[in-house]
Amino acid sequence: MIRETMTPGERVEAAIKLEPYDRVPVAPLMDVMFPCRRKGMTVAYGISHWREGFQAIVDIFDEVGGWDAMILPGYSLALTPTVASGVTVALGTGDYRFPGQDPAVSENSQPQYAEREQLTAEDYDEIINLGWSGFAEKHRERFTPFSPDQIIAWTQRQTEHYTREGETWAERGIPSLCGAIVESPLMFLSTKRSLTAFTMDLHRIPDKVQAAMDAMVDGFIQGAIEGARLTRIPGVMLVLERGGGFYYPLKIFERFEFPYMKKMVEAFAAEGLLTVMHFDQDWTLNLPYLTDLPRGKCVCELDSTTDIFKAKEILKDHICIMGDVPASLAAIGTPGDTEAYCKKLIDVVGDGGGFILSSGCTVPADAKFENFKTMIDTAKGYLPAR
Amino acid sequence: MSELADALADLNEDEVRKLVREKIDAGVDPMAIIVECRKGMDIVGERYKSKDYFLSELIISGEMFKEAMAVVEPMLKAGKQVEPLSKMVLATVKGDIHNIGKDIAATLLTAAGFEVHDLGIDVAPGVIVEKLSETGAPILGMSGLLTPSFESMKETVEAVEQAGLRDKVKVIIGGGIVTEQVRKYAGADAFTNDASEGVDICRGFAKEGNK
Repeated sequence: MIRETMTPGERVEAAIKLEPYDRVPVAPLMDVMFPCRRKGMTVAYGISHWREGFQAIVDIFDEVGGWDAMILPGYSLALTPTVASGVTVALGTGDYRFPGQDPAVSENSQPQYAEREQLTAEDYDEIINLGWSGFAEKHRERFTPFSPDQIIAWTQRQTEHYTREGETWAERGIPSLCGAIVESPLMFLSTKRSLTAFTMDLHRIPDKVQAAMDAMVDGFIQGAIEGARLTRIPGVMLVLERGGGFYYPLKIFERFEFPYMKKMVEAFAAEGLLTVMHFDQDWTLNLPYLTDLPRGKCVCELDSTTDIFKAKEILKDHICIMGDVPASLAAIGTPGDTEAYCKKLIDVVGDGGGFILSSGCTVPADAKFENFKTMIDTAKGYLPAR
Repeated sequence: MSELADALADLNEDEVRKLVREKIDAGVDPMAIIVECRKGMDIVGERYKSKDYFLSELIISGEMFKEAMAVVEPMLKAGKQVEPLSKMVLATVKGDIHNIGKDIAATLLTAAGFEVHDLGIDVAPGVIVEKLSETGAPILGMSGLLTPSFESMKETVEAVEQAGLRDKVKVIIGGGIVTEQVRKYAGADAFTNDASEGVDICRGFAKEGNK
């Protein structure tokens, strides 16, 4: 083991600020799925029983001797208690198929998203006129059967759970990085219109899409800032997938994604909030743009499809990189494979600081425990010979 | 290259609609119109390979192709069908309900001339084997987005083996997180994270099968 001279909080903060650390910090993106299976309960049970599900996460933390940070403190969504935020979540979860509730999704599966066109091309005009919150409140009944009072009560409870989760980690000296979650306008519209319909919108009615994004972004920023204030965790997870080079050429990214990402990151930084940019899919092409974001104020979280070594070349001395033990390696690899990959990450991406070892996206439900433990142990025990 | 193929390759929706209508009105053989549209899709594929086009252009051109086919195919005389490049069976495997990648692949494969038997999502190994037997398709494409899909892919390949079809069927797997390691684990012949590359791999399989 490496002789540790920093607390987990100091180590993670040093990585984010691109300052020296005693060792590479390790912080998996830990959902309830993998801990539930480890504890012998179904994922379906863990999701529907908050106390037991969250305790399973704490137990696995103890079982492996701990790690350095929670990216999200648990699995409750932190929400500003407004009707609009409840509707927004209903839009996102309406087409989630939950384990045990859908015959196609087994009790031990993670929730799965069946994407369909929940918003129509005609909705853009009203979003432009009303902003997102106004639109969501006006059309509440299209997206959720619940009354405003029920929605507000639910979002308050979610936020209370989230806050309690953060406090549990704080009591253990473990920082939680994100007090709220938000999507970029592109990510939001793409998943609610569906990938194909939204891509056709960008082709057919680009000005209208841009006007809708302009009308949405300030509300998204404000909601995330309020969410982080409520949970008292000074950071925001910005969920990004659809705007990157895997899907779109740079001319689309430059017009419909990056200006909004930048505005959001800068607004959060101005409020003293960290942004963890959660990048799903391959964003290698887009990496050079990230040097235009404020230095040391955000984290680039990669899922193993973006070239993390290229990210290091481009972003070193500017943005902390987090990732990216592949889900496939966690599920079907061996401890030897995992150790070799983690060492390579520590050697190359960890060189000179600015790196947090993590799972590539969420630790999968069927990750092998020995692989997961190897990732944690390698961060704690492997010191590159430099 | 024809005007229609160029218009499709340039993603000019209005022009494609106009040209298809003009050709039908002028009595052009519907089969010839389909061939021209396929040539347009081939150009899209080339531009994708040279990185001038992205997944978005594959999606847009695929939608345009489908719209054109919806107009042209009913004009084909009964019994007169385009000879497929090959038959293939496509499915998102058991336990996984994600369809986006599979649907894009199905559109591109159809446009490339494959007769695609798309079984949908959450498809059990037995159903896949049954469809392979029924159609005699020499190619199986399996999609999955989640790690548990690896096990389903493996079970499906084993079921194909048990049915005595493995030496007659080439298997390709696809999805955001599949890797060479997953290909080996599942016992597939190829893997891809890229729908256009997947079409090329299937073309290669079809070519091998036709030797």
